[in-house]
Amino acid sequence: MAEAPLLELRGITKRFPGVLANDKVNFDLRSGEVHALLGENGAGKSTLMNILYGLYTPDEGEILLRGKPIELGSTRAAIEHGIGMVHQHFMLIPVMSVAENIVLATEPRRRGVLLDYDAARKRVRELSDRYGLIVDPDARVDHITVGQQQRVEILKALFRGAEILILDEPTAVLTPQEAKELFEILRSLKAQGKSIIFISHKLNEVLEIADRVTTLRRGVVVDTIAAEGATEESLARMMVGREVLLRVDKKATHPGDPLLQVENLTVIDDRGLQAVSDLSLSVRGGEILGIAGVDANGQSELIDAIAGLRPVKAGRITVDGTDVTHSRAKDTLDAGLGHIPEDRHRRGLVLAFTLSENLALHAYRKPPMSLRGFLNLRAMLGRARRLLKEFDVRGGQPTTPAAALSGGNQQKVVLAREIDGDPKVLIAAQPTRGLDVGAIEFVHRRLVEQRDAGRAILLVSLELEEILSLSDRILVIYEGRLVGEFPPTATEEELGFAMTGGTREEAVA
Amino acid sequence: MSGADDNVELASSQDDVSQLEGTLGPAPSTHFASRFDGFTGIIAPVLTTILAFLVGGLVVALTGKNPIKVYHAVWNGTGLNWFFHVGSYTARIPFTTAHMWFPWDTASIAAQNLQQTLLITTPIILTGLAVAFPFRCGLFNIGGQGQYLVGTIFAVWLGTSFSGLNPFLHVLLVLLAGAVAGAFYAGIAGILKATVGAHEVISTIMLNWIAVWVGAYLFGQGGPLQGSQPAIPISNDIVEGAKLPVFWGLKLLQGLSVGIFIAIAMLVVYWIVINRTTLGYEVRAVGFNPESARYSGISVARNYFLAMAIAGGFAGLGGALDITGWQYRIGENDIHASTIGFIGLAAALLGRNTALGVGLASLLFGALINGTSGRQLDPSIFRPDLAGNLTTIIQGLVILFVGLNLGGLLIWLRKRFST
Amino acid sequence: MTAFAGRLSDARWTAARSVGIAGIILGTIAFWLALPPLTSRTELLPIAIGIVAIAAGIWSWSRDERRIGGGAAMAGLLGILLGVAANQSSVENLDQVVVWSALLAATLRYATPLTYAAIGGLYCERAGVINVALEGMLLTGAYFGIFGAIESSSWAGKWAWVVGILFAAAAGMAMATVHAVWAIHFKVDQIISGTAINFLALGITGYLFINRYGDTGTPGDVPDYGIPDVHLHFLQDWYFIGPIFGQLNLMIWLSFVLLIGTYIFVFRTPYGLRLRSVGEHPRAADTVGISVYRVRYIAVIASGGIAAMGGAYLSLGFVHSFNENMTAGTGFIGLAALVFGKWRPFPTYAAALLFGFSSALADRLPTAYGNQWGTLFQALPYLLTLIAVAGVIGRSIGPAAAGRPYVKQ
Repeated sequence: MAEAPLLELRGITKRFPGVLANDKVNFDLRSGEVHALLGENGAGKSTLMNILYGLYTPDEGEILLRGKPIELGSTRAAIEHGIGMVHQHFMLIPVMSVAENIVLATEPRRRGVLLDYDAARKRVRELSDRYGLIVDPDARVDHITVGQQQRVEILKALFRGAEILILDEPTAVLTPQEAKELFEILRSLKAQGKSIIFISHKLNEVLEIADRVTTLRRGVVVDTIAAEGATEESLARMMVGREVLLRVDKKATHPGDPLLQVENLTVIDDRGLQAVSDLSLSVRGGEILGIAGVDANGQSELIDAIAGLRPVKAGRITVDGTDVTHSRAKDTLDAGLGHIPEDRHRRGLVLAFTLSENLALHAYRKPPMSLRGFLNLRAMLGRARRLLKEFDVRGGQPTTPAAALSGGNQQKVVLAREIDGDPKVLIAAQPTRGLDVGAIEFVHRRLVEQRDAGRAILLVSLELEEILSLSDRILVIYEGRLVGEFPPTATEEELGFAMTGGTREEAVA
Repeated sequence: MSGADDNVELASSQDDVSQLEGTLGPAPSTHFASRFDGFTGIIAPVLTTILAFLVGGLVVALTGKNPIKVYHAVWNGTGLNWFFHVGSYTARIPFTTAHMWFPWDTASIAAQNLQQTLLITTPIILTGLAVAFPFRCGLFNIGGQGQYLVGTIFAVWLGTSFSGLNPFLHVLLVLLAGAVAGAFYAGIAGILKATVGAHEVISTIMLNWIAVWVGAYLFGQGGPLQGSQPAIPISNDIVEGAKLPVFWGLKLLQGLSVGIFIAIAMLVVYWIVINRTTLGYEVRAVGFNPESARYSGISVARNYFLAMAIAGGFAGLGGALDITGWQYRIGENDIHASTIGFIGLAAALLGRNTALGVGLASLLFGALINGTSGRQLDPSIFRPDLAGNLTTIIQGLVILFVGLNLGGLLIWLRKRFST
Repeated sequence: MTAFAGRLSDARWTAARSVGIAGIILGTIAFWLALPPLTSRTELLPIAIGIVAIAAGIWSWSRDERRIGGGAAMAGLLGILLGVAANQSSVENLDQVVVWSALLAATLRYATPLTYAAIGGLYCERAGVINVALEGMLLTGAYFGIFGAIESSSWAGKWAWVVGILFAAAAGMAMATVHAVWAIHFKVDQIISGTAINFLALGITGYLFINRYGDTGTPGDVPDYGIPDVHLHFLQDWYFIGPIFGQLNLMIWLSFVLLIGTYIFVFRTPYGLRLRSVGEHPRAADTVGISVYRVRYIAVIASGGIAAMGGAYLSLGFVHSFNENMTAGTGFIGLAALVFGKWRPFPTYAAALLFGFSSALADRLPTAYGNQWGTLFQALPYLLTLIAVAGVIGRSIGPAAAGRPYVKQ
């Protein structure tokens, strides 16, 4: 069935300073299909879709809709052509209602000037029923769940007459249950004639929902194949270009005493809800404890509480024998905790500081970095030189601002700082987010090194592969509670199931 | 924290572009403090100043006067021309009766003008530091005026009391009181920011006006600190022993007090604290990235408070220096008319929050204000009240153009037209 | 109307809230009782009522209604203090100062420039651009308004004020355009550019004023062609309302229109929705095709025009003259009212009335109590706003994206 494709991108090239984000990319979308766009972080998927949605203009190439070339210079043009996008970070206004968000810029009017709220509500309900996306039009967006917010985003696109829907990593913020519901919705939309582009780097999802798969690697299209008959391994090979080493080489250790102990921990989040409920865990010296879970299930609050960045409502936290339950961050760090935060730009580094200053972010308080309140710049520089060499940080001297380094090297700086502090317990939160494969391998090697040296390592990651390959023990967190302990030989399905809150008994029944 | 934050969003998104921002240069920070760091070049401030004076001259020309003549008259009034008249003179060594050879004439008209200029520069340096220090911490202290006023209030209060106290101690007490009072006053805004996150711009604007009206009340007719003449809303003079020694010129003719040295010393203190102490390190870390600072155990709240309090200390000290240095009293009208705090703001912005920059910019504004004042300017060339407004216009233009980061603009232009 | 009712029902009328609000009312009564016309002369009455108010506040606080409880406790405390103070002063003094009809009329007059400034600021800030230049725009309008009227009085006669208002609005918009270009296009820090405008306005208006009217001041015949009062003859004889509403200036009536119009525009029209979206989440607005830059430009320029009109009222309708820096901080009080009113038109107006009342009172206090108390009272609006900002009366949180320049990719 060789029908003309609905949408065609030909020879799209887009350059940013220093990188070729899209290199002569050819992509087409057939009417009524779900076409997955697959690739690693930084492969160019989002750039391509931003071009399609009018947010960027391509340097070369053309876009054809139903065979005719179109200009997509703005999002308004894209919307007019029937292209709608659901972004990874939602474009919703938190303080406004669902209806207001959906009708924004295409509002129904009464007497020409006034906003017809009743008509808006009615239209939202109509759409909602037609596509099975249940939402409350009057609810404030910041009061509904993430899954519901995503539905609002989809309704927003449908309200504007989108025939082509682009979904950018839609399951990143959903529980597996919500992801299943999303796939149902997508199938229903498909049945009603919509065409969907689905961006992802999750191989299992791609296989489940897509009709065809296009893989991007470093801005270039590797191949476009039918999803039927593909396997996760074949997709992975396309994505990365070599056999992906899914497991890191690890030798067995003999874990010692528990260095981090968390007992019956309860933590409240920013909205006043319980993010962590009565959670207990312990990490022994010489082991890596991995915590798996869908984003926003309490991991961040757990780490913040342990690190002293968030008050603890109930429970106890002990680091190497010292009770740090109500300690401030400074004291917890002094007690022997190292913390590699999950966002190196926002939390790990001060980008405007030099590498030497960044490396001193915890050590500056004490000799030899400072004496009686005065900094010892020479000591700081010397230490920086040593650490930069030890951790093979490239791209700068101790006097270079951290912003000048690449992501991987920046993360090395963070690692160097935390590890040099000689912590007993090391928390690593999403330590390889946004890094290229070489940097990922470096980070993994270092973590294993530290584990071998007898430290207790708490690893929190959204990537199941990372958890499975690094951890000695795995705990799954769901809605602030631990719902299962697994050995590193567990399968992704087992972990995924636990991440939805299911238990083995349920599975059997 | 709700709301979209474009730049930070980029940093944590998976988009390829975010990985590049690092290789381009400083990643855009949401804190304007990062734009004013370091002595990245004298080009921008010089350009800014020239542009401001050009536009100011345009205003003068558009209203039918000769800008060259006006600026020349102003220049002579500043006393800066004193440096250009090198010769062979004798000068009296301060605080002694001995004389020595000196390349400049210390008793000329230009010398007297220069004394005035430096007298005005003194508090500007301090109110400038009062803006620069919190800026490094990411805070916008627009309350220098109120903090300065609080310093003057306490200086007058303590200066008019305790007659008979040892002069050295009295001066020290008055200066300390001014600084501490200013520190406490600014500390209110600091605490509000640190605890409930109240925006320091709004709270300091309110505090400014509260200080103005409370000060007007205190020294106005019937006010508790009004002087002994009930019809005049002015305080008493401070006691002789509370006055700063004058080392150049005559005290009666408002010679230059040693206050200028204290001000310059404060510039040095500022530089040392910001660049060489752990406090300065924390302040800068919080200014660039409060989240990362927090994650490393630095107390953001504590630094917000300290930055504001230290700023208030600078401004309050400025007020005390003015009172003990040449004003010796304060009246209700002075309180309403004073704008030193805002001039310090312009100086800090022009000087890019560095010690040397603030010093030079303060000198520029001190010279400008003195040169256009009624004392110095020949009314036939240009009316002093017009000149005063011209100064305000130039001040506004400086602040306006400073924000443009003209140096960066120039570099960008050069890059753009070289490819 | 359903949305308002919805917000009321959202408010969850718990017992704690009702008691707290009753406490606030009681505290106000405690003070008011001591004033004319009731002028009860016992100190016990305000103390007693005030204590009940404080108790109500504490009870409310303990039931987790901290803001209302705090407000009630404060109202009670203030009621006691002020009620006792009122009792200390003589009845004659009180009668002289507290002439309610005159006070309220003066309140409206003082509140009007605040209203124009604050509402102007509302549009600007709701679009996400901070505006600390309200003072400058007010002053600009004051000068250019009276300048336009004076210069056109020869040919426009008693309609010169129309020219004046138009001139003022144009000047205000011109000033605002500078702020807009700097903040939106050059992405300069908005507080810096706002502060610069304040200085420029001060300097330019002062310079032009002295240059043109320097030695003689503005001509004395301005009242002939100033903004007229609206004489409502049927009202003027009514007992209490008459003196207040009988001859209000036209601009005051227009300010009511402005207020209602702003509410409808911002909360009931599509344009208002887009305005708010740009101020809350400009990226989201951009992705649905709204031009963030255009909306912000329009909002900032409009704010300049509106605020300047308030300045024109000041010089052309209130004092009928101009002096250097005649606004003397009024624009900042307007900003304070906007913050106090949480960027909503009607609470902002209530705040403007409160501050106007405070100014009116400060005006009358010296007649009986001496200059210094009048002076001290002038600090009240700022103190109240400081307390509001500190969160005692609830946190003032503005539009989420205010202050951050928008960078379109």
